[in-house]
Amino acid sequence: MHDLLGIYNYWIYVALMMIGFYGVIAKGNLIKQAISLSLFQTAIFLFYISMAVVDGGTAPIWMAEGAHKVPDPLTNPSPYDNPLPHVLMLTAIVVGVSILAVALAIIINIKRAYGTIEYEEILEIERQMAAEELAEEAHVHG
Amino acid sequence: MNEVLLIDSFLLLLVTITAVAVVQTRSLYAAAMLSGIYSLLMALVWVNMHSMDVAFTEAAVGGGISTILLLGTLVHTARDEKPPKGERKRRRRRVRWGALVVTFATGAALVYGTLDMPRFGDPSAPIHHHRVPEMMNQTVAFTGHVPGKQPVPPGWTARADLQLPPDLQARFTGNRISQLPIELAYAKKKELEEGHAPAAAHDEGGHGEDAGEHGGAHAHPADDFNGHVPNTVTSLLAAYRGYDTMFETAVIFTAGMSLILLLRRRREDDQGHATLEDQVILRVMCKLFIPFILIFGLYVISHGEIGPGGGFQGGVILATAFILYALIFGRPALQKITPQWLTDALMAVGVLIYAGVGVTTMLLGGKFLDYARLNPLSPGDGGPLGMTLVEWGVGITVCTTMITIFNQLAERESGSD
Repeated sequence: MHDLLGIYNYWIYVALMMIGFYGVIAKGNLIKQAISLSLFQTAIFLFYISMAVVDGGTAPIWMAEGAHKVPDPLTNPSPYDNPLPHVLMLTAIVVGVSILAVALAIIINIKRAYGTIEYEEILEIERQMAAEELAEEAHVHG
Repeated sequence: MNEVLLIDSFLLLLVTITAVAVVQTRSLYAAAMLSGIYSLLMALVWVNMHSMDVAFTEAAVGGGISTILLLGTLVHTARDEKPPKGERKRRRRRVRWGALVVTFATGAALVYGTLDMPRFGDPSAPIHHHRVPEMMNQTVAFTGHVPGKQPVPPGWTARADLQLPPDLQARFTGNRISQLPIELAYAKKKELEEGHAPAAAHDEGGHGEDAGEHGGAHAHPADDFNGHVPNTVTSLLAAYRGYDTMFETAVIFTAGMSLILLLRRRREDDQGHATLEDQVILRVMCKLFIPFILIFGLYVISHGEIGPGGGFQGGVILATAFILYALIFGRPALQKITPQWLTDALMAVGVLIYAGVGVTTMLLGGKFLDYARLNPLSPGDGGPLGMTLVEWGVGITVCTTMITIFNQLAERESGSD
């Protein structure tokens, strides 16, 4: 039972990642895809932060003496959680919102150019444009 | 089972349900709002896992900024997701079986991978045996030399080997992790580079070459200020991963630039913008709140090395104050306080401050971002100084980039063709 609970977090991370993945590949709406992509990202954050947890540990900020629980120093490498994954994810979140912003900017430009943000409709327009171009070429040469 | 896991399992259940709702809903407005809720739940998860800095960032960025950005985009694009063609006729949700099979297959492979993961909270997981014990060691050795600094955490004095400065070989006698050949190789390499055994540095108290290299009466690497910087997250962020953070700031700057290139067409006149200025309650509350939000943001930026927070979080909080102002009084009012030329310039200035600190330490005779050089008399105190400067650089870039992104995404359609 403890073993199962011990990997519960990792299973949730897989579930979240796959929900995001499904959204990216199955949804035709570009904004929906961008949101799904950020779900995918947070799944990775969950994976990293889960790894940082130490039983009995606390936030990795030095405290005054005697202010925190003392774990068994022989089995526990640190009375604090591992700060390194926190550092990595902290910057990743801010970079993530920048990615989202650029994606949204591109989506707005797509809307201006095609009048729609549905993937299928954009493909349709592209196909029509290609067909028209071909017809025009045939007309010129023929 | 401990209380962390108990709260964790409940919160993660809520998170998963929200995630399904975000992907399933047809209304894009609902999806944007739900993703805000999702981020707030995630922030709670991070707090529960003692990751205060990440929680801080998630709440400010995920709950605040990205929801605003999404809503700003929806104004330009569409409110609802159109159902796929087949669905429109049958009025029944079409499940994409191909996508579902791919997701489940990938998920199954990942779950299989997790079976080999160390269990949640396992102190013997490899991740806890690299770098972190080393930092603890250094802090202990450090406080041994400089009185009045951070006290030795209780429970640490009991271990004799922790009194020594970093010694990779002696660090985990009997622990299988430390016997990895690569660690021994690194230890050997370090020994050769420094010209003496690491243990000797302790005995000499850092005299000779080493004192010049690290500029202190105690031997500790230039990227370690744990005795002086209580928040290890900031210490790692600005020192151990200093280059990484600098380029991540540059990435944010680049994102701001791309937005300008993608969306800034021309200087449209902002006349006739709808504002919420006639809403008395909103206006008064906003005027009351903004000064406190600003002070809080400044506090968070400048206290990053002591408590949770830092440039990323503080920058985003500062930006929310400006964005709130723009939402109530309209973007023209915001443009008066933060004109485009100013935000454009400050985006670059932040990155330059960061790089400038690095260059300054080089001019002072150290390596790039070798903060100890900033205070030759007390190298340890150079750390907090350098980190505060660097955090200010990050804060300025993040804040102005977020304002720029908001300005670009919230731009009215009237200006475009």
